[in-house]
Amino acid sequence: MLEIGSLVDGKYRVLREVGHGGMSVVYLVINEKANKTWAIKEVRKNGVMDFEAVEQGLIVETELLKKLRHPNLPSIIDVIENEDSLLIVMDYIEGKPLSKVLEEYGAQPQDLVIKWAKQLCDVLAYLHTREPKIIYRDMKPANIMLRPGGHGDEKDITLIDFGAAREFKEKNLADTMCLGTIGYAAPEQFGGMGQTTERTDIYCLGKTLYHLVTGCNPSEPPYVIRPIREINPSLSSGLEKIIEKCIKDNPDERYQSCEELLYDLENYKTIDEKYARKQKFKLTAFILTVIMSAGFLAGGFAFDKTAKSNADKQYLELIDEAETETNYDDKVDLYKECTEIPNKAGDKAAYLALIDLFKENDAVFTKDEADTIIKLVKTNEEVIRSDPDGYAEICFEIGKLYWYYYSDTNELTRRTSSVKWFNDAISASDNYKQLGMAKVYSRIGTFYSEISVNTIEASDKGLYKPFFADVAELLDSVAVDPDESEIVRLELLKLSCDALVTYPTKFKTDGVTEEELMEMCDKIQLASESISPSTDQTKKLSDEIISLYVKAKEEIQTAFSTNMPADDVKGGS
Amino acid sequence: MEFIVSASTDIGLVKSTNQDSLNVRVYSTSIGKVVFAVLCDGMGGLESGEIASASVINAFCKWADFRLPQLIAAGFGDQDIKREWTDIAVDMNSKLKAHGAMRGINLGTTLTAILLTSERYYVINVGDSRTYEIADRAEVLTQDQTVVAMEVRNGIITEEQAAVDPRRSVLLQCIGASETVVPDLFFGQTVQNAVYMLCSDGFRHEITPEEIYGSFCPGNMLSAEQMKQNELYLIELNKQRSERDNISVITIRTY
Repeated sequence: MLEIGSLVDGKYRVLREVGHGGMSVVYLVINEKANKTWAIKEVRKNGVMDFEAVEQGLIVETELLKKLRHPNLPSIIDVIENEDSLLIVMDYIEGKPLSKVLEEYGAQPQDLVIKWAKQLCDVLAYLHTREPKIIYRDMKPANIMLRPGGHGDEKDITLIDFGAAREFKEKNLADTMCLGTIGYAAPEQFGGMGQTTERTDIYCLGKTLYHLVTGCNPSEPPYVIRPIREINPSLSSGLEKIIEKCIKDNPDERYQSCEELLYDLENYKTIDEKYARKQKFKLTAFILTVIMSAGFLAGGFAFDKTAKSNADKQYLELIDEAETETNYDDKVDLYKECTEIPNKAGDKAAYLALIDLFKENDAVFTKDEADTIIKLVKTNEEVIRSDPDGYAEICFEIGKLYWYYYSDTNELTRRTSSVKWFNDAISASDNYKQLGMAKVYSRIGTFYSEISVNTIEASDKGLYKPFFADVAELLDSVAVDPDESEIVRLELLKLSCDALVTYPTKFKTDGVTEEELMEMCDKIQLASESISPSTDQTKKLSDEIISLYVKAKEEIQTAFSTNMPADDVKGGS
Repeated sequence: MEFIVSASTDIGLVKSTNQDSLNVRVYSTSIGKVVFAVLCDGMGGLESGEIASASVINAFCKWADFRLPQLIAAGFGDQDIKREWTDIAVDMNSKLKAHGAMRGINLGTTLTAILLTSERYYVINVGDSRTYEIADRAEVLTQDQTVVAMEVRNGIITEEQAAVDPRRSVLLQCIGASETVVPDLFFGQTVQNAVYMLCSDGFRHEITPEEIYGSFCPGNMLSAEQMKQNELYLIELNKQRSERDNISVITIRTY
C-alpha cells in the first residue's frame, strides 16, 4: 500500500487513491519537478494468487509496454519493482469507466457505441500487431474510460488496465469461478479449447458492445444473449449481425481479425440494407400467399394450384440463390428462409442442403451449426414427417454429421449424439433406402456407449461378435464407395483399425476367427491405398490408419498365438 | 417429528485449505423440533474463500439463533423466509464485495441452507452446492446456478456435454462476487422417514445418484453413528475417484 504523501522512486509524490482493480490499486501522483500528474498502478504481490504469472507477463513486456503509443491507450512511462509490489507509472486518465456510465444512464445510443466500437477495434488491432503480439483478454465496460467532454473527439475513450493483460491466462479448471468475476471471458479462456488469440478479444468486444447498446449485462440474470433488436427493435440489424458474429462460441466462426470487424462496423448500414431487401422479399411472398389463400377461399381449386406452384417456384428460386451465394452466413440464412416459405417447411431439400453446407464449409460440424439445424428440424418436425422417407433421410444425414464431423473431441459424445438421430431415422420409415445402414450405425454407437460399463461388470461377452459384423458391413458398403467423402471413408477405416487393435482377444473369445480378422485388415489396407488424401487433416488420418493396421495385425497374431484365456491376456482393455 | 443430524467435511486430496464451511443445529421450540442447516463452498485465493464461506454461515446462524424464535412465536409463511434469507444473502454479497475491493482480492461463496419443521421445508440456494431429499430415491431440491446447468435447461447442450464442458465450474452467481444476487428459494412438505442432505459440489461429481441413495437411503440411516459412517464412506469413495475439491456433507434424518 503506498502511503499518501510519500515519495515514490524519488520523483512521484502520492496524492490520493483513485481506484481499485481486482488485484491492484491506482494512485494519483505528481512529479513535482515537472509539475505533471501521473497515475501509478500498484500490483501487490501478496494480493495476487498467481503473482508469478502476472510478474512474468509484466516484466517480460516492460520494454514493450513503454513503447506502446496509441491515442486510445494511456502511455506507460515507467515500471518500478520493489519488494512487495510492482508499480506501473502511466498517464492519468480523467473520466468515468463505461461501467459507471451504464449504471447511471443505462443503454447507450447506437451511434455512440459504434463510434466507440471502431476505436476499440483500432486499439485492439494495434495491440494485435505488436511484435510479439499482445492479446488484451479482458475487454469490458469497466476497463474503458470515457473522457469528460470528449464527445466528437476521436480520442474520447481510453482502454485502461492493459498492463495486466497477462493476468488473465487460461482459467484453472479445478477452481470454481463466478461469472461476476470473470466478466465476458470467451469459451477458449477456460482452457481445453485451444489458445486464446485475437479472436478472444473480438469475443469480449462483442459482449461489451452488447452490454453497451442494450444496457443488459450478459453476466447477470437472465444470462442469455438475445438478438439486440428483441430488446430494442429500433437498433440496427447490421449491428445485430456484427455482434452475433463476434460472440460465436467457435473462434473460427467469429471475425478473424479486428480489421475485418472494423470493415463491417464501417459498413453496418449496408448490412442493414441487404437485410431489408430480404425482408421485402419475404413480405412479397407473404402478401402473395395471402392473396392466393383468399382466392382459394373464394372459389376454387385452380387458385390453390397456382398458390402451390408459386410457392414451389419461390422455393426453387431461393434455393438457387442460396447455392450461388458465397458468404457462409448469408448462405445459412437463405436456406433457413427457404423453410419459412409457406407450405414448404416440409420440403427436405433445404435441410439437406444445409447439412451439406455444414460438411463442406470447413469439414467441422460446430455446436452452433448443430443448434441451427436441430432447431429448424425440431420446429418443423411435424410437417417434415409427412414425408417419412424425407424425414428419415434428414435424420440419417444429421446422425452422420455428428458421427464424422462433430467438433466435440469426445468420441462418446459424438456417438451418443448421433445414435439418437439414427434411431429417429429408423423409427421414421420402414422403406427408407438407408435403413440398414442406420441400424448398423445405431448398433455400433450403442456398443461403444455400453461397452465401458459392461466391461467393468464383466458382462461384455457376446457383444463383440455382432459388433464385428456391423463394422464389417460398414466397411463393405461405405469405405469402398467412391462417392462417399474422403473424411467419412477414412474415419471409418480408422474406426475399424481401432476395433482390431483394441479388441482382438475379445473377438477371439466371442468366436471370430483369425482369418476373418486378417481379412478385415487386408480390406482396410486395400481401401486406404485407394484413397489419396487431399487435405492436411485427411493426410494425417491416412497416416494414422497405416500405422494402426500394422499394429492391428500384430495384435491379432499375438491374440491367436497364445492359448491363455483371452481375458487374462488383454483383460478389460 | 424427530430429527437426527450428522455432518462431515474433508479437505480433499489437493487443496491446501478447506474453504467449505457448514453448520447444523436442532432447536426445541413451541412448534416442536426444528432443524436449521447451512453449507457454503468458498472460493478465492489463500484464506479468502474460508472467510467468505464462514462469514455467510455466521450470518445465517445468527439469524437462526435470534430471529427464528421470534418468527416461530409470531407465525411465519414461505414469503417471510424468502424475504429474510434473500436480505441476508444480498447483504453478505455487498459486505464481501467491499471486503474484497478493500484488499484487492476476489472472494465469494456458494450457499445452500434448509429449515425443517415437522410440517415444511424451506431451502435457499446460490451457486452449485445442493440440497437433496432422499426418500424412495435421491431427489435434488435445488437447481444448480451454473453456466452449463443453464445451458442444459435451455436445451443448448446435453447433460453428457455438460459433464465434460470446460466451463463446468463457472457459477452464474455467488455471494461476494456478483453484481446482484438472486437466490433461488424452494419450499415443500417435510417427508417423514426421509433424509435431507446438503453437500458441496466436491461431494457429488465423482459418485452417482445411485451410490448416494445406496448409502443415504432412510433404511441405512438409523443412528447418528451410522449416518456419520456413511458420510465418511462416500467421502472416501470420492477421494478414491480422485476428487480434487474440498468435500462436505450434512445429513438430517426425519422420523
